[in-house]
Amino acid sequence: MLLEMKGIVMEFGPVRAVDNVDFTVHPGEIVGLLGENGAGKSTLMNVLAGTYPPVGGEIFLDGKKVRFNSAKQAMQHGIRFIHQELNLCDDLKVFENLFLAEELRTKFGLLDKKEMIRRSREAFERMKVDIDPEAVVETLQPAEKQLVEIARALLFKCELIIMDEPSTALSTHEIENLFEIMRQLREDGVSFIYISHKMPELFEICDNYSVLRDGRLIASGKFSDTNEHAITELMLGHQLADDSFADKQYRGTEEVVLSVRNLCGANFRNVSFDLHKGEIIAITGLQGSGRDTLADALFGAVTCTSGEVHLNGKHMKNGSPIIRHMKAGIAMVPRARKERGILNTLSIYDNTSMGFLNTKFKGGLINIKEEQKRFERQTKTLKVKTDNPRNPITSLSGGNQQKVILGRWLETEADVLLFDNPTQGIDVGTKYEIYHLILRLAEAGKAIIVFSAEFPEIHKVADSCMVLYKGQVNAVLSREEMSEKLVMYYSTGANLEGEKHA
Amino acid sequence: MLKDLTPKTAAKKLVSEYSCWLSFILLLILALIVNHNFLRWTNVSNIFVQSSITGLIALGMSMVISTGLIDISVGAQVAIISGLGIEVLNKTNSILIMLLFCLAFGLVIGLINGLLIAKGRMPAMIATLAVQSACRSIINQLGQGGPFSVNSENYDAFRKIAAGGIQLGSFKIPFLMIIFIVASILFHIIMTRTRLGKHIYAVGSNETSARLAGINVDRVKIAVFVITGFMCGLTSFLYSSRVMSVAAASTGNLYEMDAIAAVAIGGTSMNGGKGKIIGTFLGVLMFKMINNMLTMANVPTFLNGAISGAIIIIAVLLQNYQAIRNNGKLG
Repeated sequence: MLLEMKGIVMEFGPVRAVDNVDFTVHPGEIVGLLGENGAGKSTLMNVLAGTYPPVGGEIFLDGKKVRFNSAKQAMQHGIRFIHQELNLCDDLKVFENLFLAEELRTKFGLLDKKEMIRRSREAFERMKVDIDPEAVVETLQPAEKQLVEIARALLFKCELIIMDEPSTALSTHEIENLFEIMRQLREDGVSFIYISHKMPELFEICDNYSVLRDGRLIASGKFSDTNEHAITELMLGHQLADDSFADKQYRGTEEVVLSVRNLCGANFRNVSFDLHKGEIIAITGLQGSGRDTLADALFGAVTCTSGEVHLNGKHMKNGSPIIRHMKAGIAMVPRARKERGILNTLSIYDNTSMGFLNTKFKGGLINIKEEQKRFERQTKTLKVKTDNPRNPITSLSGGNQQKVILGRWLETEADVLLFDNPTQGIDVGTKYEIYHLILRLAEAGKAIIVFSAEFPEIHKVADSCMVLYKGQVNAVLSREEMSEKLVMYYSTGANLEGEKHA
Repeated sequence: MLKDLTPKTAAKKLVSEYSCWLSFILLLILALIVNHNFLRWTNVSNIFVQSSITGLIALGMSMVISTGLIDISVGAQVAIISGLGIEVLNKTNSILIMLLFCLAFGLVIGLINGLLIAKGRMPAMIATLAVQSACRSIINQLGQGGPFSVNSENYDAFRKIAAGGIQLGSFKIPFLMIIFIVASILFHIIMTRTRLGKHIYAVGSNETSARLAGINVDRVKIAVFVITGFMCGLTSFLYSSRVMSVAAASTGNLYEMDAIAAVAIGGTSMNGGKGKIIGTFLGVLMFKMINNMLTMANVPTFLNGAISGAIIIIAVLLQNYQAIRNNGKLG
């Protein structure tokens, strides 16, 4: 199937996420779609898959103009979207998920479970994975969930498969199997759009590339005609901005503010480290590595099973609530800003004041004048772009929302700042502003942990990088040792795999 | 604040910001057309007196709904508290003890609601439905079909609480009106100027975000139900004084509907996180005005429930329509 997207425009409120993009995929072609987070890749694909009807532009399939108003319509035209986040119903069984909304029926109109289970088994065999179609999805590992998501696209006849970072939780071995299936399908004329941040993968599986930046299509061509360096430059746009992070100095002092010893929780074990005043540590790992839970645990949002945490010399008892952690001097800018950070019906102003209100506020009535002063101080230092602080926070762009959340925490005067995936869905310009803010905060004596899976981000700010694999610290890399390859190597547990085979 | 906006968007903003004032004024004009004497003091104070009973409950309901929850036990709470409250008055002959009993009893029922929802993780609708049914059936059993009537030497003194007022020149300001206005002001201050108020909106906006901002979500949920229970206790005391004899089966019937309707016309979002006390205050008055007009138009009182239902549906549909137009999506 020949896909042509012409002049696609997509807007979210004031933000133009996709700006006049032309994009073509030929039959039997694997296109790598590249771009930094927030460049518009996922949005463009959501337009194609019918999730968002575009504001402008046209889509042609084999020369015929189509318009998708729902995901179902796109599926009926042979387009399948394997989403980045796992869209599975946890309480249902694997085969029920695979056939969700497309259930097979017997001639009496009842569900044909036997046939569905048989076909699910077939799909898994083809992928060379061992997943029981009758297992409840909740009991699966993240990697298995991702494989189920992929199997869903393979079950039905389709002509174009969109894969949005399908390999984030997969092991090298599983990725190889996936590529094998993709090559087979390509022989049959199925085309793919493959979104990934992992360069080696892209060069291995994709024929052609297209690079998006700030919602615009910057370049496209053959992978065989280019190299990693050139592609990265295209994605980033300005090489210059990167240099300003190159000579980052270590600002850590002798003083330990956060000391963690043998911390164990739901899906991490034996984590130990010291965080010094002025130091920036990055903690990375794939989805399911325990990175998310560790962030929440340090902030007191989930309880640990054992281990010790000392904050400013004070022992944080296991299970003590978030507010006690906050008062002891820790703050967290949470991941998934929309779901876990912003209070979407509240004003920019109230969103900012929430941190101070909860930790430092005393007395009965809120002093509006003082609150205003604090607000102005934060918006000025953080350069929040807003015309009226009484507007709801949702009127701001993602980057400015994130700054407001950061402002909320700065008012608590915390000594330890946890940034959990801080630039998720933020445009490139604001991203750099946030990196600079993080560096400035460290200079001012804050101790910082950045939880992130994006190497470029880690490399810009961190003094050292802790890599988690299956809940355990697999490696600690100093700034000099850090490289994308090495981080990937330890994140996928490749070093441990080697040991096993030896 | 409006200086950077074009006249059209400024007008739009004003309309959405002050929509409850706008509808209040429109309704007032309509009422004046139907009844030229509408703004006569006796009529005005009468509307306040009639509004105050559901109004006090609606203030609590405002908090509950702003938290993103619901309390449908309020009517049954009023039935059981006023029934037993009158028994207490008859036994002790002390109005003060009765008042304390009513308030304490309300607090306890509210605490039960709050604990079931916050700590027991029950959906608010189910928990308060269960409490509603329990309260109603207990007071029915205790009443054995008969009413609870005030039968005390303090009969006249007690009656004067709801019937009395302060004489200011030729105007008599009823106690009930004063209590309702003072309570509304207090609630307004709590919601806009205290930590609890900000926390209520935050929890109603997004529980996870609220928790990660350091808010004790459970405590906020318990607080709104306890406050609502307290308001039910106060209402029960005043209601008993107003009617002097309460029937177990019918007292407080549909109060939850009336309170929710008032909150809804006041512009508070049924999804939580958004709303104003002044809206609820005006909503209560509007609700009574609509009722009065329909009574004058000889609409049978049996249809009151249908009217509350229609008001809730229209008000919430309008809110949703506005939200869709402003944000392109709900919420």
